[in-house]
Amino acid sequence: MVSTSGLVRGLLRALALAENAALVTLLGALVVLAGGQILLRQLDVALTWVDPLTRLLVLWVGIFGAVAASRENQHIAIDALSRFLPPRLQLAAGAVVGLFASGVCAVLAYEAARFVQFEHEGHTAALGGVPAWILALVLPLGFGLIAIRYAILFGSRVRALAAARADT
Amino acid sequence: MIAVSLALLVVALLGAPLFAVIAASALTGFASSGIDLSAVVIEFNRLAETPLLVAIPLFTFAGYLLGESGAPQRIVRLTQSFLGWLPGGLALVAIATCALFTAFTGASGVTIIALGALLYPAFQYAGYPERFSLGLITSSGSLGVLFAPSLPLILYGIVAQQLGVGRPVSIEELFVAGLLPGLLMLVMLGAWSVWRNRALRAPLAAFSWTQAFAAVRESAWEIPLPFVVLGGIYGGFFAVSEAAAVTVIYVLVVEVLILREIPVARLPDIMRRSMVLVGAVLAILGMALASTNYLIDAEVPVKLFDAVRSHISSQLTFLLMLNVFLLLLGMILDIFSAIVIMIPLILPMAIGYGVDPLHLGIVFLANMQIGYFTPPVGMNLFIASHRFGKPVLELCRAAIPFFFILLAAVLIITYWPALSLVLVR
Repeated sequence: MVSTSGLVRGLLRALALAENAALVTLLGALVVLAGGQILLRQLDVALTWVDPLTRLLVLWVGIFGAVAASRENQHIAIDALSRFLPPRLQLAAGAVVGLFASGVCAVLAYEAARFVQFEHEGHTAALGGVPAWILALVLPLGFGLIAIRYAILFGSRVRALAAARADT
Repeated sequence: MIAVSLALLVVALLGAPLFAVIAASALTGFASSGIDLSAVVIEFNRLAETPLLVAIPLFTFAGYLLGESGAPQRIVRLTQSFLGWLPGGLALVAIATCALFTAFTGASGVTIIALGALLYPAFQYAGYPERFSLGLITSSGSLGVLFAPSLPLILYGIVAQQLGVGRPVSIEELFVAGLLPGLLMLVMLGAWSVWRNRALRAPLAAFSWTQAFAAVRESAWEIPLPFVVLGGIYGGFFAVSEAAAVTVIYVLVVEVLILREIPVARLPDIMRRSMVLVGAVLAILGMALASTNYLIDAEVPVKLFDAVRSHISSQLTFLLMLNVFLLLLGMILDIFSAIVIMIPLILPMAIGYGVDPLHLGIVFLANMQIGYFTPPVGMNLFIASHRFGKPVLELCRAAIPFFFILLAAVLIITYWPALSLVLVR
C-alpha cells in the first residue's frame, strides 16, 4: 500500500529529476549555441535569432539553477547569526525563513502569471514568431517551484520543532 | 516603511535567502509608490536582455569541470617544479596556484576543496608550521578575485553598466585594471611567507630540467588555456562572452574527450552543481535589478550622497570610510550579494567624490576578498574547517597574519589609484 506521504515523496523525486533534466539540457544548448556563434562569425554567417536565444537560455538556466538551489537550501544567505543559535532556535529560524521565502516567491509567481497574461493579451511576438507569453511561462513556473520548496522547508522545520517539544 | 525594513533585516539575519529579501523590499517599495507589482518580475526578466551575462554560466561550468579533473594536481606539480627550489618555495607554489585557480573557478570555495587537499599534506611533509599552512590555504582560497576571468569582476562590470552613471565601464578594462593590484597581493603574501619560513632553509628539491620538462609535458593541455583566454581578451580577439564559450568548449574537449578524466556520465551532475551557484547569483542579480530601479526612482542614491557629503568632504576620507565600511560588510555579506546590493548605492557616491569607477571596482573587490576569511561568516573559514577537520576558531587564529598583510595591500590599492588605472590608459 502506498501512503500519501510516500506518494508525495515520489512525486517530488520525479519533479526534481525533471528539473535537473531541464537544467542540463538548457546548459548543454547554451554551450552549443555560444560555441556555434563563434564558428558562424568566423564563417561570416549572421543568424539574427542566435543572440536573443542565447540570452533567453541564460535566464532559463538561471531560473532552473535557482530552483535547484532552493531544493538544496543553497541560496546565498547570511548564516552568521543562525549558525550560532541553539538547535531549537535554529529550527525556529528555519521555519520563519521557509515561510517568508515561500510567501515572497508565491507573490512573485502570481505577479509573473499576471505578466504572462499581459503578454498574452498584448499578442507580443518574440523569437522567430513564438508568442512572448509562451517564453515568459518559465517565470511563474520557476517562482512557483521555489515557493513549493520553501514551503516544504517550513513544514519540515515545524515538524522537527514539534518532535523536539514532544521529547522534552 | 521603517518597520518593514527592520523586519526584512531580521529575516535576513535569520538566514533567509537574500534574493527573497531583496524581492520583498522591491515589492514593498513599488507598492508604497503605487507601481504595479508585476514590475518586479518585468525587471527580473531583463536578465534575458543583458548580453554579457552569458559569461557567468559558461565560466562557472568550465571552472567546476577543471576542479573535477586532474588539473589541480598538475598545476601544483608544474609550479612546484619551477618554484620548488626556492626557500619557502612551497608557499609560493600555493599562492600562485590558488590565485590562478580561483580566477578561473570564480572564488566559490572550489579552490580550497580542490587544491587544499593537495597542498596541506605537502606543507606538513615539508615541515611548515601547521598554523602557517592552515592560514595560508584558508586566505589563498579567495586570492585571484582580481584576476580575469573571475566571476566577481564580471558581476561588478555588469552591475556598473546597468547603472549607467559616470563613464562606462567595460569588463575588458576591469580585467586589465585588476592585474597589478592582484599581483601586489601575491607579492606581499609571497614575501611574507618566504620571510616567515626563512628557518626552513632546505628547499623542496633542487631545480631539475627533466622534472620541469615532465611537468610541462603533463600539463601540455592546460598551459595554453590562460593564454588563449586572457590573450584572446586582452588582445581584442574575443569579447568576454566569446572567451567564456571558448574556455568551456576547450575544457570539455580536453578533460572529457582527450584526457578522459571526467566520464561523460558524470557531466550532468557537474552541470547541475555548477548551475546551483549560477542560479543563486542570478536570482539575487535579477531581484537587485528591480530593487535598484526602485531606489533610483525614489532618488535614494542622491539623498544618500547629499547626507554623506555634509559629513565627509575629501575623497581621501571617503575612501577611508569606505574601507572600514566594506570590511564590516564583508564580515556578514558574501561578495556576490555585496556587489548587487551595495554597488548601486556606492558607485554614484564614489563618482561624486571623483573616484574612477574602475578603481572603485578593484577597491571594492579587494576589500570584499578579505571578507572571505574574516570571522564570523567568512565562507572559506567554514569550507576549510570542513575540509581539514579543524575547529573554525583555530582557522580564524591561523588567518590573522594573512588578514593584516592583505589589509595593507587593500590600503595601498585604495590610496594609489594609478596601480589600478595605469595599464588601462
